[in-house]
Amino acid sequence: MANLLWLQGGACSGNTMSFLNAEEPSACDLVTDFGINVLWHPSLGLELGENLQKMLKALTAGTLALDIFVFEGTVVNAPNGTGEWNRFAGRPMRDWVRDLSKVANFVVAVGDCATWGGIPATAPNPSESEGLQFLKRGHGGFLGKDFKSKAGLPVINIPGCPAHPDWITQIVVAVATGRGGDLTLDEFQRPKTFFTSFTQTGCTRNMHFAYKVSATEFGQRKGCLFYDLGCRGPMTHSPCNRILWNRQSSKTRAGMPCMGCTEPEFPFFDLAPGTVFKTQTVMGVPKDMPSGVDKTGYIKLTAAAKAASPRWAEEDIFVV
Amino acid sequence: MNSEQQHALLRKMAQLMQGGLKTQTEPFPETEKEFAAILTELRQLKADDIEGKMVISGFVDQPYGPDKQRCMECMYYLVHREWCDLPELAVPVDADWWCRLWRI
Repeated sequence: MANLLWLQGGACSGNTMSFLNAEEPSACDLVTDFGINVLWHPSLGLELGENLQKMLKALTAGTLALDIFVFEGTVVNAPNGTGEWNRFAGRPMRDWVRDLSKVANFVVAVGDCATWGGIPATAPNPSESEGLQFLKRGHGGFLGKDFKSKAGLPVINIPGCPAHPDWITQIVVAVATGRGGDLTLDEFQRPKTFFTSFTQTGCTRNMHFAYKVSATEFGQRKGCLFYDLGCRGPMTHSPCNRILWNRQSSKTRAGMPCMGCTEPEFPFFDLAPGTVFKTQTVMGVPKDMPSGVDKTGYIKLTAAAKAASPRWAEEDIFVV
Repeated sequence: MNSEQQHALLRKMAQLMQGGLKTQTEPFPETEKEFAAILTELRQLKADDIEGKMVISGFVDQPYGPDKQRCMECMYYLVHREWCDLPELAVPVDADWWCRLWRI
């Protein structure tokens, strides 16, 4: 039996909503099949008031074991580093986070806000928000770059806005069943099993990417969303087109550009007007190239691909 | 627009440029804001105001600049249809033409 505690800081509850929609395994499977004891969760916890405080104090005192501490949302430090803007169970949430992280075997940050600050930490960051171990790309965050949980791992980051439900439950199961040591993490402490391939991997528009045919309006089934509509699929690490959303689809499959929400810089360009859903260019050439591609190579590839493109690439081939 | 109409329009555009139509090739929109400003201008035109579209978007009937940029490599160009798929333009074009809304 592994004790799991889930708390929310500066959050919209999106990752909770996502978690509750998990299918493989589901939130119920965690309890019935994998022996996870959910001590408390904002949407599922039964304890209130003093009972909850008593439980949290037992955890921080070490009289109740904390195997997995899941945190959703940013650590709010405002005003002036006190954290008083986000109080929970009688004290600033940041104080609970610090104390619970010390006693937890594993600490899991779920969603962009908990991992690197996400939207709340976007300039000017009025809530003085930060992620558990990162602030955007900067290593450190609230717990500091040297933090390791009792099991010897840094914070396990499962980013996304929200994170895919099955990424959350699969990592929780791995940790709860004693396979936490098998997890390999990338430079941003994301499990490599999910975050090595790109959002573009498995995208149904890859043919159009290859032949440089652009979608120019939302909802078009023809065309790649990277060239004009700001899709970040070729440079974003996520399995969104391998582990489908609702087991059905993905943003790009549905005609919606990837916003790069599993990367530390999300939201990109600080949401400045004109930067969302529009590919940023310099003299007509994309500012952000597909990962590993340079400008010269990109231009050469475009010329060759256009010249070689077949007629069908310009047509809507997804006929019903 | 059927194929015959498309070719007729392509010829008309070619004739306009051969006849010396002065178009706004400069400034090239270096930023999205500048690009968007040109699109806004185009949206104010009637859909059949071909000459207006050509002037604002800076059409020329040959490759442009030191890099010899041309429609052929532009992301909006549909090679087989010989068509500019940018919704604000939506006109037939030749692979060797260019305009300042060129993006790769």
